[in-house]
Amino acid sequence: MLLSILIRLENLAWFSDLRSSAYVYPVVLALHLTAISLFGAMIVATDLRLLGWALPEVSAPEITRGLRTGKRIGFVLAAGCGFILFAAKAEEYYFNPFFRTKMLLFALVAIHALVFRSVYADSAARKRGRLAAWLSLVFWLGILCAGRAIGYVAGRPGMHYR
Amino acid sequence: MLIENPLSASPSAYPVLECFHIAGFALAIGMTALVDFRLLGFGLLRQPPAQIERAFRWWTLGGLITAVFSGLLIFSTDLDMYYLNWSFLLKMAVLVIAIVFNYTIHRQPNRAPRLIAGISLLLWTGVIFGGIFIPVALAGPG
Repeated sequence: MLLSILIRLENLAWFSDLRSSAYVYPVVLALHLTAISLFGAMIVATDLRLLGWALPEVSAPEITRGLRTGKRIGFVLAAGCGFILFAAKAEEYYFNPFFRTKMLLFALVAIHALVFRSVYADSAARKRGRLAAWLSLVFWLGILCAGRAIGYVAGRPGMHYR
Repeated sequence: MLIENPLSASPSAYPVLECFHIAGFALAIGMTALVDFRLLGFGLLRQPPAQIERAFRWWTLGGLITAVFSGLLIFSTDLDMYYLNWSFLLKMAVLVIAIVFNYTIHRQPNRAPRLIAGISLLLWTGVIFGGIFIPVALAGPG
């Protein structure tokens, strides 16, 4: 069911054109990495503040507030470009163990956001703040490495590319 | 070749180096961008740009050093390919300009803060594009 939807997705004219394009695909990839840089550093900056390693004179909630919009824009950009890259090779990615790892880590990030929501709004929660920061750094670094590893798994023969 | 590069012996060495490379440049470029966005009027508006720059200065440098060293190791695996690659050469030229700009003009952005921020963002984005296009340049046009 899911697989047949993915095969349809990658065979949409847009995405099959993208797959065979020598220049558009790397442009989307470069935009993906640019967005990751912008978004990633905002995550790290927030986590460094929670750990007390940067801007200790500014409260953690103030950093969170200041970077909230930027993080949202950065994430939408990175995820949007990521989706386009995925859609061009949806079937191959579906079977890719590192892509699956990356998606699993995204689920953990979502749970993390729900569990530690209060930490980012409350400067009193220091011990939980450190735990939240470490977990966030580990998850996002894992996502980065899993993402890079996706490209090292060869697609299987008999993919439904048109 | 007389000396065998040990990095070429292990198939996982290259992707692991790439992870260090991406994490390093993401940290350096993204932290610099925090200052750039502040200069453009976004982000941590309650803090002056100089305070943001100071707070993340060593993290930026750490990211840059990680990216440069992992990059040198990646480069060492295929010197012949890289030094003839137009995208790689362009990347190196823009990288040198970006680093010099970052540690000179970008340090004193009082005169034309928006222009300086814009140039900084453009230069670092150019470095990323130069890197991504290395395999494209290798394949040649078409």
